[in-house]
Formats: sequence, C-alpha cells, structure tokens
Amino acid sequence: MAKDRGFTGKEGYYGEFGGRYAPEILTRALDELETAYRRLKKSKKFEKELEYYRRNYIGRPSPLTYAENLTKAWGGARIWLKREDLNHTGAHKINNAIGQGLIAKSMGKRRVIAETGAGQHGVATATVGALFGFDTVVYMGEEDLRRQKLNEIRMQMLGAKVVGVSAGTATLKDATSEAMRDWALNVDHTHYIVGSAIGPHPFPMIVRDFQAIIGVESKKQFRKAEDKLPDAVVACVGGGSNAIGIFYEFLKDKKVKLYGVEAGGRGTSPGEHSATMLFGKTGFLHGTKTLVIQDENGQVLPAHSVSAGLDYPGVGPEHAYLHETGRVSYESVSDENALDAFLEVCRVEGIIPALETAHAFRFARDLAKDLGKKKDILICLSGRGDKDVAEVARLTGILKGEIL
Amino acid sequence: MSAIQSVFSEKASVFIPYISLGDPDYESCVDWADALIRGGAGILELGIPFSDPVADGPVIQKAFQRALAHPFSMDQILDTTAKIYSKHPHVPLVYLTYFNPIYRYGFETFAEKAKTSGIQGLIIPDLPYDAIESEELFQSLKKRGIDLIHLVTPATKPERMKGIRHFASGFVYYVTSYGVTGERKSVSEGLEERIRLTKKTFSLPVCAGFGISTSEQAARISEYADGIIIGSAVQRIIEENGRNRETCVEKLREFSASVSSSLRGREAVS
Repeated sequence: MAKDRGFTGKEGYYGEFGGRYAPEILTRALDELETAYRRLKKSKKFEKELEYYRRNYIGRPSPLTYAENLTKAWGGARIWLKREDLNHTGAHKINNAIGQGLIAKSMGKRRVIAETGAGQHGVATATVGALFGFDTVVYMGEEDLRRQKLNEIRMQMLGAKVVGVSAGTATLKDATSEAMRDWALNVDHTHYIVGSAIGPHPFPMIVRDFQAIIGVESKKQFRKAEDKLPDAVVACVGGGSNAIGIFYEFLKDKKVKLYGVEAGGRGTSPGEHSATMLFGKTGFLHGTKTLVIQDENGQVLPAHSVSAGLDYPGVGPEHAYLHETGRVSYESVSDENALDAFLEVCRVEGIIPALETAHAFRFARDLAKDLGKKKDILICLSGRGDKDVAEVARLTGILKGEIL
Repeated sequence: MSAIQSVFSEKASVFIPYISLGDPDYESCVDWADALIRGGAGILELGIPFSDPVADGPVIQKAFQRALAHPFSMDQILDTTAKIYSKHPHVPLVYLTYFNPIYRYGFETFAEKAKTSGIQGLIIPDLPYDAIESEELFQSLKKRGIDLIHLVTPATKPERMKGIRHFASGFVYYVTSYGVTGERKSVSEGLEERIRLTKKTFSLPVCAGFGISTSEQAARISEYADGIIIGSAVQRIIEENGRNRETCVEKLREFSASVSSSLRGREAVS
C-alpha cells in the first residue's frame, strides 16, 4: 500500500478537517498552486510586491477605531473596530484577491474566476482582474444578484463577466459549485480565486495567510493604543475568511477570548439559518472535509441568512477545528437582531456596516454587558454596508417611511 | 479476476451507460436499466443523487434535482439496485456517487448492503486515492470483492498514476477531456496515446467517459478503449421522455443497441 500521502500530511489538515476532496482533473492545478504559493511565500520579492499593493492600493494598514458612542450606548466593555470597511473596494475580500491575483500572475494565468455571495469577493476579484489584466468571470447565485444589484453593476463596470447561477438554492453554495466546474474545464489557463477560507487544500491555508494581516495589524495597533491585548475579539462567520484573518494572530494568546458569529436566520429548522457550528455535521463539501448542514442521508441542506455573504451551509475547515478544540466560541444571531444592529451602528456610530458584520455587532452588544467596563472588545468590521442598503430598506420599511 | 474485469476481453469494447437513480422515480429506473441492458450494455453505472455534484454538467445536475424532489434514502437506492440486479445478475452494476452520502451512511454498512444489492464497483469522483478515508473505504470494499474504480484524467501526472495503481481495481475510468460530464462535439487530441499509456501503467481495462455522446464518437474511441461510458446523452433521453415510460424504454433500448453495435468487436461477440 502506498505510504506517501503527499499533501495529506499535517499541512493540509486542521485536526480531522480540511484535506483535498476535489475531482481528479483539479489535482494537478492544486499541486501547482501549492508549489507556486510555497515558493512565493519564501520570496522577498513577492513579500515586497504584496506589501506595495497593501499599502498603496488597498490602503493598509486599515485603522483601528475606538467606538466611543457604541461603548457609551451599550454601557459595558469598550468597543474597538478593525476597519476593513475602509479598504479599497470596501471589505476585507481585497486582501485575499490581491494576494491570489499576484500568485495567478506569477503562474502565467490569463484568466481568473470567482464565486461570490454578497458580491464583495466578486468586486475584489473584478478589481484585481482590471488591475492585472485578467479576463474575469464571477459566478453569483440569481437570488444573490437580486439582493446585491449594486455589486453586480460594480463588477460589470470593472470589466468582469457576471454569470448568474439558477441551480439549487441560487446562492453562494451553487455559485461555488459552478465556479469549480468552470475551473475543471479551463484549469490550464485559469486560476480560481476562492473567496473564503474554504475549498480543497491549499485554498483554506492561502486565504487565511492573506487575511491574517487583519489580526497582525490589530494586535500591533491595539498594543500601541492601550498597551495590552483586547479581552475579546468578535467576527462574523460565513465561510469565515475575515474571522480566521483576525483570529489567527491571537490563537496563541489564550487570555484573548475569540468569538465567531454565524447567521441564526429566522429559525432553527433546516433552510432557515446558516448556523453551521450549531447544526452542522462532519461532511464533505466543495473539496474539503468540514462541518456541513446536511440531512441524515448526506444531502446538503439549503442555508438561509438575511445576509448573502453568510448564506452558506459549510464553513472553513480551520473554523471547524477551532470549534472542536473550543479555542473559538461560535454563536449565532438572528436576521431580525442583525437588522436592528445594522441600524443601531449606523445611527450611533455613523458607520454603515455590512449586514454580515451586523451579526458580530449584535453579539458584541450582549458580550459588552457581560464583560462589563474596563474590558475591551475588538470587532472585525469586515466590510461596509453600501451593498446592503436597498435590501435593508426593503426589509425594514425605511423607504415607506415606516422607520423602526 | 473480479466480476467486472471478466466482462472485458481483448477482442471487444464494452458499452457502459449511466443513469441517475430516482429520475424521474425509482420504479422507472428499473425499466431504464432493463432497456439499456437489453440494448447491449455490458456494465451499468448507477448514479446516486447528490445535492452538490461538482463533477457533473447540467444534464446530470438536472437529473439529480428531479430525483431529489422525492424523498431520498440510501435504502431506496439499494432496493432499486437489488431489483435491477435480480433481473440481470450477469451484468455488473457500478455506483457513481459523491463521497458525502457514503460517509454519512457508514463505510461498512454501505459496503455490506451494496454487495447484497448486487453492486460490483464504486466510482467516487470527489474522493482522491490519497485522501485519508480512501484506505478505510477501500478495505471495506475489498473484503467484499467490490472494486474501487478510479478516475484518471489528462491532468493526471505519471507519478500520480503510479500512486492510484495501488488502489485501483475493476477498470480505470479515463476522463477524456477537461471539464465536467456532458455531451461534446469533438474528442480531445492525443486521447489514444493517453489511453494506451494508462493501460500500460495499470494493467487494467481502461474505459473512456466524459463528453462522449454519439455512436460515431464511441466507435472511434472503442478502437483503443476497453469500454465506452455514456452518461449525459442517456440521461437526456430520460429527461425528454421520462414521463412516458414506454416511449422512454424504447428510445433507451434503441440508443443502447446503436452504441453497442458500433463498438469494436461487437459483431464478433454478439
């Protein structure tokens, strides 16, 4: 029996999760990607180039904002915001898209594809496509296209082709499947810029590494501001890229409590939420072994969230591992509470957050009270909510003058 | 030699059609299988529907959606398989399924029940040979004489083929072209050479699939392949005629006969 298991050594796995469960046609491309990435990771030239784009194109480091008004309003722990909403394109997604764009360039690929839920990763990929001169195709569920019209227009203006996916639930899950199919057909000249810390190895590792800048900067900035570490870090989790990005640097700091917040949706029945940690079971989806919302027969169940970016029935394998080990606590917040938090943050702090992040805010509000004064909570403000304003207005009746 | 391997010979190429179980219902599938076998199928591939089939094109995706519109259970899959087997015990049946449904069902239970239902082989497009679960599943199947059939593609490097060789049995499923399942007008260049290399590496029969849809394509590839696998074109007949069982049965039988008789050496063995 063959003993050499190649990638299935420790590096592709997080505990029992992770690995590579993709069609054979993709294996060579995944191997080549891993080799290219490992080579670039050690290269000073690549590090310099990445740093150049981070500083001069994305606008990093993103600020750390003390949210004085929210702190007062919530009457508990002090609230700090890591402002990924101030990145170029308006979310953390650009950190990864730029990184993977540079890898694709170095591998000589001329075409990039992506899947997107809320459209932020699609916009980031379209931006990188324009910047580096790639032909760009973005797959997006028809239901998400309806919810996120603004981002569809942005992607088109940036020169990307947006392909609506009507299969299945017509959301992120199906867009991801379709992107994998495209990659299988065009793998020789196309790089698939996976948008979250999901997918077959090496994607979860690559996405985490490019997003880890969020935690690295946060730690440095927090130390400078307060000469200590935050007591808690809170981030929303769909696939989990902004969360793993801010958590990663703090994993070894055991005194820092880490909280991932999933979409509790509108109920606990299948199809009404995207709370994978609460309801998921170990399974295989989109090339990785992770927790998956599924029925007893192993069929993946539809997920739901008011936020298109959290509407995914799986989660990154590293999160599944962090959940299993207990290092990160995973919670959920309902659609209704996330909408409340969205409006509250707008009015109190003057920041329109992404609906995804609104879940993290709502959880942090309760946590602030529990922790009490003199404690510090750092929230990853993963993106801005311009894309969500029409949907929030529709759902809350703002346009009809029925302000909550 | 496994039951699957015994179907192959040097002289003739084998027709291996595919159907998605449960489309449009489980009862009809027994008739579809019967028609394809009467038409000349040497091995039958039975698809177990999955919600997220990333290796399949639109025709099979839609078939799965129609199948999953009814309540799905692995037991029903196994029952239907047993019915097909009891009608044609001499034709090897092979499952094509994604890994998650098998994982949930449990390897041992699945292998045991699949064997009892008449299954001789298993193809899992999203389970690479070097995944940590492969060996455990392989042992469960091997104990019961079920073959684990592996996919080899134009992107599979020679050293990886050698790794796959340790686990492969029954036959090798050679993916003729990049992409997912579905009908294509042309066959990729260099296919003959690649299939001959695969045969040499594995010392197993090599069957070609993905993108083959017509008798003409099948005939040409059968000159050097031990078997021809056709899924989407068969499934399209079911998509278009499935509601009328008699018509569908006739069309499937005709298609199967037309492809089977076009293959290398078929006259000699019929």
